Amino acid sequence: MAEETATAQQMADREMVARIGRGDQSAFSALYDRLSGPLYSLAMNMLGDTAEAQDALQDAFLQIWSRAGTYDPEQSSVFSWSVLLTRSKVIDRLRARGRRSRVVVGSTDDKETRTEAADASTIESATDTADKNDEAAHVRSVLNNLPSEQREAIELAFFGDLTHHEIAARLGQPLGTVKARIRRGLLKLRQRLHT
Amino acid sequence: MISEEQQDQAALYALGLLNPDEDAAFESQLSASAELRDLVRELREATGDLALTAPSRLPPASLKQRVMRDIGMEPERSAPIPTQRASFAWIPWALAAMLMLLCGVLALDRASLRRELADARAADPLMQTIFFTLTPSESAPVDAKATVAWQPGRQSGVIRISNLPAPQPGRDYQLWAVDAAHKDPISAGVIRVDKNGVAQVRFKPVEKAEHVKAFAISLEREGGVPKKEGPILLVGSA
Repeated sequence: MAEETATAQQMADREMVARIGRGDQSAFSALYDRLSGPLYSLAMNMLGDTAEAQDALQDAFLQIWSRAGTYDPEQSSVFSWSVLLTRSKVIDRLRARGRRSRVVVGSTDDKETRTEAADASTIESATDTADKNDEAAHVRSVLNNLPSEQREAIELAFFGDLTHHEIAARLGQPLGTVKARIRRGLLKLRQRLHT
Repeated sequence: MISEEQQDQAALYALGLLNPDEDAAFESQLSASAELRDLVRELREATGDLALTAPSRLPPASLKQRVMRDIGMEPERSAPIPTQRASFAWIPWALAAMLMLLCGVLALDRASLRRELADARAADPLMQTIFFTLTPSESAPVDAKATVAWQPGRQSGVIRISNLPAPQPGRDYQLWAVDAAHKDPISAGVIRVDKNGVAQVRFKPVEKAEHVKAFAISLEREGGVPKKEGPILLVGSA
């Protein structure tokens, strides 16, 4: 059932992106409503700065608008494609300001988050975020059930914008060990989330 | 068969960790192996899902306006410029024609703007949303609070709760819509807060609620009850 829903959602996303590729602003608006919550959350988690996260999200959506025509569903889902675009914009900003991100992983008790969320006036984003909550809880649960060393390596790689060499240095582990941890962890995530 | 080394590279590639040389080398392997491409695609999906583990935030509404304004300001194709007339005798006629054309364009533009405005109003969720602030009763912690964004047209809403500790085992919090057209509050479902006393849930009342005056949260038996029994902890009107 969940799989069917995901597939239906993915098909709807693809259709939206196809319409965006043809210059359909209403489809773009709908996609923004669906994705801006999780993408903004990602940007905030990596940048730790509201203004920069908003700028990164704006850049990402402008790129979605301009690149929609080249989106290839064979390579990734719309959600993953958008996440990678957003992450790339965030990394550009991190590198531009010459420092590494503040890594905040798994923290859900951020009062500022809640206040900001309560003040958020984009109800579409709010409802879509709420829809995403179950999925997020599932992903978080799967991630938390990975061996801690695998989870740590993946989180540093994804949220921390650290290269595998930097992760190895940070953790004081050989490069091969870090690569293996990332590979094993990601394969387990794939297996548990997508089978 | 994908080697362990290729799996390593695939995972790093999906996470964007390879340097440009490694990227190029791996992409040449990708182009030669459908199996490897499938693996990368699946790893990318897992990578994308990692974004969902970030603490939930919502961008301000003004950001969407900025983005929409940006894409709306993309240059449009301009109308072809009329070529210069060879004879001055045509000038008055050309001016008259241009004036008529301009009037036509303005009329069309005005109609289009009206349509866009109507569409924007219809599409703007804020125009159709009522906000309720729920405050604690004597039975609830003083700093507990909740906000409901209710969309009557959709008969659904989102509630965010903070500082409300999880109930004791065997009990649940339940959300109610107090509707002028119904004698009893209408159940909008059980709400579960996390260990920090926070919840953000989308809900839909079990019956149509067209004249909602208030929302309330009560403490009920585990799993919820069809009709309110327990004490009200939070309540608020629009």
